[in-house]
Amino acid sequence: MSSVHHQQTFEKLVRPHFDRLYRLAWRLTGQKAEAEDLFQELLIKAYGKLDQLVKIDAPGPWLSRVMYNLFIDERRRFARRRMQTVEESEMSGDGLAGLPGIENPARDYERQEQLVKLDAALSKLSDEHRLIVLLHDNEGYKLTEIQELTGVPVGTIKSRLHRARARLREMLVASGTFS
Amino acid sequence: MQTENSKADLDKQDQEILALLKDYPKPQASAAYFDQALVRATHEGSRRQRNHWLMTGFGSAIAAGLALWLIGGFFLTPPDLPLVDPSIPGITMTLEEPRTINLVFASAEALDAATLTVRLPPGIEMSGFPGQREVTWETSLKTGKNLLPLKLIATSPVGGEIFATLKHDDRGRTFRLRVDIS
Repeated sequence: MSSVHHQQTFEKLVRPHFDRLYRLAWRLTGQKAEAEDLFQELLIKAYGKLDQLVKIDAPGPWLSRVMYNLFIDERRRFARRRMQTVEESEMSGDGLAGLPGIENPARDYERQEQLVKLDAALSKLSDEHRLIVLLHDNEGYKLTEIQELTGVPVGTIKSRLHRARARLREMLVASGTFS
Repeated sequence: MQTENSKADLDKQDQEILALLKDYPKPQASAAYFDQALVRATHEGSRRQRNHWLMTGFGSAIAAGLALWLIGGFFLTPPDLPLVDPSIPGITMTLEEPRTINLVFASAEALDAATLTVRLPPGIEMSGFPGQREVTWETSLKTGKNLLPLKLIATSPVGGEIFATLKHDDRGRTFRLRVDIS
């Protein structure tokens, strides 16, 4: 297979999953620069495994798992944490900053305030709880999909989801978002 | 009756939280970004494969030579930070509110195995390292601007200075950042 053919095959397999994978990278890292780095690393790794990728029936879940494992490996190797090369324009912050929609003037002001408070509350959850609640309640992942991704049993995921929502409710009530 | 009302309130709040979570913005990247990422992946993937064979064939002699060349080219400029004071850059944080600061290091050359130490004043903590005043890790720098996001939280209203020391071999530089708490 020629190099061009390799590239075309690769693109055909991975491009349909870009949006979902990019969002997963954000949900895992919580930072634009780190999300882009993780997304890029995934593509490089996946391209190196093209022979394996072409034989997989459902590349989406496979790519998600590879990304998750890359993220976990990187977190474990925090001692050799890598910096990211960035352009000035890419340096917007994390959380709600830089996400589309938050500065939409058409968005109801009160709703925007609630979202800012939700963002603050989410940032106070543990990484595991935040990831599960965002994947399930925001991204629409099924419990079994989260299980496949993280390797955590469904029962544990359910219990974490329940606790994460309860903690969010507590914080949002305390901040006056909900009465 | 009281219990039923409380349960109804909880159900209502749960529904509101679920609706709010659904409305939480979803990150998006541009088509141009995806195109670039794809190009980088295929080029980098090919390069890594070539390098794998090169390193297998010639062993560590080449790696040693490369490392010496990198050390010779080691040059760093201070991180870009918002200037509040002419002598020391500073930021203002809100008590108990996490904030990510981005330290940007400009390096003239790619650099492996540099050591970065962040020293925090009492009352400022780094996410993932509660109670630790000093965190050190090994890192690598690419040519150009390198971003280091640090997620911090102020747990006391005192503030102080953060020191970030970047070292490679026997060279190093320390950068200071003043933190005020509002």
